[in-house]
Amino acid sequence: MTAAKTTTTAPGPEPLGLSAYGAGDALGLWVWLEHHGGVLENVGRELLGKGRLLADQLGAPLVGVLLGRREDLLVPAAEAVALAADEVVLVAHPLLAQYTTDAYTKAFDRIVRAEKPAILLLGATPDGRDLAGRLAVRLYTGLTADCTDLAIEPQTGLLLSRVAGFGGGIEALIKCPWHRPQMATVRPGVFATPVPRPPAAGTGVIRELAVTLTPTDVRVEVLERAVLSGAGLGAAPAVVIGGGGTRGDFRLLGDLAELLGGQVGASRVAVDQGWIGRERQIGQTGTVVRPKLAIACGVSGASQFTVGIDAADTVIAINTDAEAPICEVADYAVVDDLFRVLPPLLAELGHRVKGS
Amino acid sequence: MAAVEEIAGTLQAQEVQPIVLDDSRWEKVLAATGGWAAACLQCGLCSGVCPWGRVRSPDAPPVSVRHMVRAAQLGLGFDALPAGAPLWLCTTCRLCEVRCPRGVPVTEVVLGLRELAWQEPWLSEQVPPELAGVLWDVYWDGNPWGRPPSQRTVWARDLDLPSYDPASHEALYYVGCTAAYDRRAQQIARALVHVLRAAGIAFGTLGEAEPCCGDAAHSFGQRGYLAELVAANTRLFRERAGVPAEAGAALTPLLTTSPHCYDMFEQHYPGLRGVFRPVHYTQYLAELVEAGRLSFSARLPLQVTFHDPCVLGRGNGEFEAPRRLLQAIPGVELVEMAANRAEALCCGGGGGRMWLETPANERFGQLRLAQAQVTGASVLATACPYCVACLDDAVKVDAGNRPASAAGEDRGQGRASMRVLDVAEIAWMALSGPLPDTAPGISPGGTP
Amino acid sequence: MQRDQSPTPHGTRMPGAGHAAIGPLHIVVCIKAVPKPEEVRVNLETRTLDRGSARTEINPADQHALEMALALRDRYGGRVSLLSMGPPLFIPYLRVGLAMGADDAYLLSDRAFGGADTLATSYTLAKGVERIGRETGGYDLVLCGEESSDGATAQVPPGLAEWLGVPQAMYAGAVSLEAARSGAASNGRRLRVRREIKGGHEVLRLPLPAVLSVATGANVPRFFDPARRPWAAAAHVVVWDAAALAVDPTLVGTFGSATQVAAVEQAGRAERRRVVIRGTPAEEARALATVIRGVLGNGQAAPRSPS
Repeated sequence: MTAAKTTTTAPGPEPLGLSAYGAGDALGLWVWLEHHGGVLENVGRELLGKGRLLADQLGAPLVGVLLGRREDLLVPAAEAVALAADEVVLVAHPLLAQYTTDAYTKAFDRIVRAEKPAILLLGATPDGRDLAGRLAVRLYTGLTADCTDLAIEPQTGLLLSRVAGFGGGIEALIKCPWHRPQMATVRPGVFATPVPRPPAAGTGVIRELAVTLTPTDVRVEVLERAVLSGAGLGAAPAVVIGGGGTRGDFRLLGDLAELLGGQVGASRVAVDQGWIGRERQIGQTGTVVRPKLAIACGVSGASQFTVGIDAADTVIAINTDAEAPICEVADYAVVDDLFRVLPPLLAELGHRVKGS
Repeated sequence: MAAVEEIAGTLQAQEVQPIVLDDSRWEKVLAATGGWAAACLQCGLCSGVCPWGRVRSPDAPPVSVRHMVRAAQLGLGFDALPAGAPLWLCTTCRLCEVRCPRGVPVTEVVLGLRELAWQEPWLSEQVPPELAGVLWDVYWDGNPWGRPPSQRTVWARDLDLPSYDPASHEALYYVGCTAAYDRRAQQIARALVHVLRAAGIAFGTLGEAEPCCGDAAHSFGQRGYLAELVAANTRLFRERAGVPAEAGAALTPLLTTSPHCYDMFEQHYPGLRGVFRPVHYTQYLAELVEAGRLSFSARLPLQVTFHDPCVLGRGNGEFEAPRRLLQAIPGVELVEMAANRAEALCCGGGGGRMWLETPANERFGQLRLAQAQVTGASVLATACPYCVACLDDAVKVDAGNRPASAAGEDRGQGRASMRVLDVAEIAWMALSGPLPDTAPGISPGGTP
Repeated sequence: MQRDQSPTPHGTRMPGAGHAAIGPLHIVVCIKAVPKPEEVRVNLETRTLDRGSARTEINPADQHALEMALALRDRYGGRVSLLSMGPPLFIPYLRVGLAMGADDAYLLSDRAFGGADTLATSYTLAKGVERIGRETGGYDLVLCGEESSDGATAQVPPGLAEWLGVPQAMYAGAVSLEAARSGAASNGRRLRVRREIKGGHEVLRLPLPAVLSVATGANVPRFFDPARRPWAAAAHVVVWDAAALAVDPTLVGTFGSATQVAAVEQAGRAERRRVVIRGTPAEEARALATVIRGVLGNGQAAPRSPS
């Protein structure tokens, strides 16, 4: 177990030769603010919120980092300052207009070596994980992936990252004692989105750093990039699933899914009735989903169905029958008619009736 | 880009091939079907009787057993024929075999062709890709449902089932994957345990070590993998059997919940001969009744019609044991469907169809339920977890097709709807009272 | 054009014709054996993972990577090599990959490799890929699963690409080979990769050699060919230790790892909580809203993805 590692076997407080810089030179908590054409990924905001707390604990500056075309960077930079950042570093270059591993890794490597942050946080999005995995090796430092919580170890000031392994069954706290920056990718949605500070509460500096990039740095060509408005069933963070108990009325389920930024799924019974398309079916002969939240409404829960939601982080069941098997595989079971529960739930979550 | 287009053109040209009759394919077909492909006269009686003909809409390509065999005889991929892709539609129900004038075991022909399809490019389009996932589940998890092996005995957590001990047990109960993991089928296994206990039978199970019998691999035509499973399982069963039985001594029954597992042990495990006596539980319970060890004293007033599981009935010739068992229960009135015993209609779950989706309007279960409803019985009894699942589905669809007022609150438990029960559950109802026991976790303390 | 030179039998499964005009490809697939996630427990006395009782399988995502490699070989011809790092007890799992259709298998095994984090693991695997390349006349492509079911970091593939100094594409869904306009680089070939990203996809073009991680769900891993099993069971699996790989001893195993496990605990997520909520619809809705906000991480509903 690596936990048994002590200073007698570890390389010692000095960084290894490959490391960019040591703990003694490192200062500041950096957050990569991923954006697409100037629209921030929300996980960047979440990291600024959590980063503010950690930076205050460390007495260190909180720095947001934005890469891209200059015209895309100013609005998110201002938002980052309004939210939490002491400083926003802009790296503007035409070759950073869209994400490529090569250009982003090179740019990040240059500015990290120049500025020597102690901590670098990224969202565990597909691009965030693509970048972090490569950058950590280039910087020869430690990276903790897909974290569900972050803290500062009081005695040492080290970043403690919580990760889940084995499908969520095991949790571990990871630290990176000697190498810098301490890198972590953080699962989107685990930290709250901060509300903007009152203008007087904090001010931030926006600063630009220059990097040199040439087209030959980028070996991968992006031929096409298509981002649709809704994610598919498999990638949705929340799935609202209807079964026989919906009696074919999926309207409230659709409203709830939309409100949660998720998708509507269905049990086989509902698909069989022709109430909804086969591509929405969840289960053994449909799609296996792994959302953060699955809400099963009026689904009895045959085992051929429940394999489809086994990997969901949390399962909520709404069912009139307390004895239905779905209640056994649910974290929370509401024993009631879904048509009585969903309207007040939508209201509670801030849903506005269309047209009002 | 020009190069890419040129390549695409070449590929297309390769794909459009003239029909060439291929002798080497014929040799392979002949070998894979044990020579039976040659016996077919192309009379078409099989296609006429096939249940798919009754459920496919007139627009859909007909499923023709005759075409399938003909295509194989000619060494053709099936896509060349109007029948579409029928190889994995066959539920191996053997209804056509009853009619075949040449006695062709159509199921063996179909399974042989499936085996070829896993190997031969000209048939590989026939293999539904999801089947590989089921085989991997059997390989990694020891069951075709992809459930954790460590949860195999959770259904019986409160029953204290002993590990099989040849010295003290008179039967080895092989629960089977579906009864171990499926919520509905667990109730059948639990009912059976209670009935066996009521009869005073000392029995044990293999617990978490219980392997998959290989029914899925068999029905997918994976004979090579099945041979691996059979060899490993035979070793395990022989180890657990203890001292070899003396010649002439009665063999220990290996009793199964599912007729599919029984069929596997009876027909595909030559190494178990002389070690265990495979027996379906309906046969075993009927024996117990006849030996006076199991008797039903309380009345259970139920009108029941019995659906013959294909693999028990046509597959193994056992039509009467479940009926004798039902008729041993005072109050149970058995009414037969017009199509019963060798003529019974398949539920649609055999031949690997349990792992493949079937549109609701093409399920045999729907037809079978309608046949059962005609009898006026309140209970549709059967003796197979797959049949129970398919017929339960039919009941659900049937309830959904009713007006919302009838289908709503009571979820299809309304007037004309039937209840699907396994014979083991009916037996336990007769011994205990009207409600079958459910697995732990849902009604704590609800066990007798 | 060179055809598949591999000495391995094809079992009963007939290989695809291959596409001689643009192939062949030598593909290295990184696989690892993992305990089934739901069967692993924390030993609370030793505070280590108790993997002993758990059944082990090939990491599911790696099976998708292997399937992609085999499908590419069926299409373009060439060779599929399996590469793993771990104890000798991984060898039976490599044999399963051989029975699926891989041509040869390599295991990097040394006590010094133990306790590696993603930094040290990606370094060691890179040394293995380089040596396979040296011994077989070069590699064209390295395929990895998108993440492992135990660590779920998804950081080894990009780390491996960096150590190898080659381009990468993560979460590849579909891959094809095309002729490059200029013939010199990449043997005149490039990869076209469709990559799944949040709410959509990207199509990338990259030179060979390259490292790809394969999206889980990109394909259905074929079942092994039973007729290959006897060959696979007896096939020679090449085992290389630290000396054979000529690794820098300060970069492997615990010693070469930048991260440390400070604590490990059972998350208690093995079973669902099974909390029953009953009340008036309004009370139930309030309770549910609290749960939903907690699960989805913030007070607001999740944001819509940018379109």
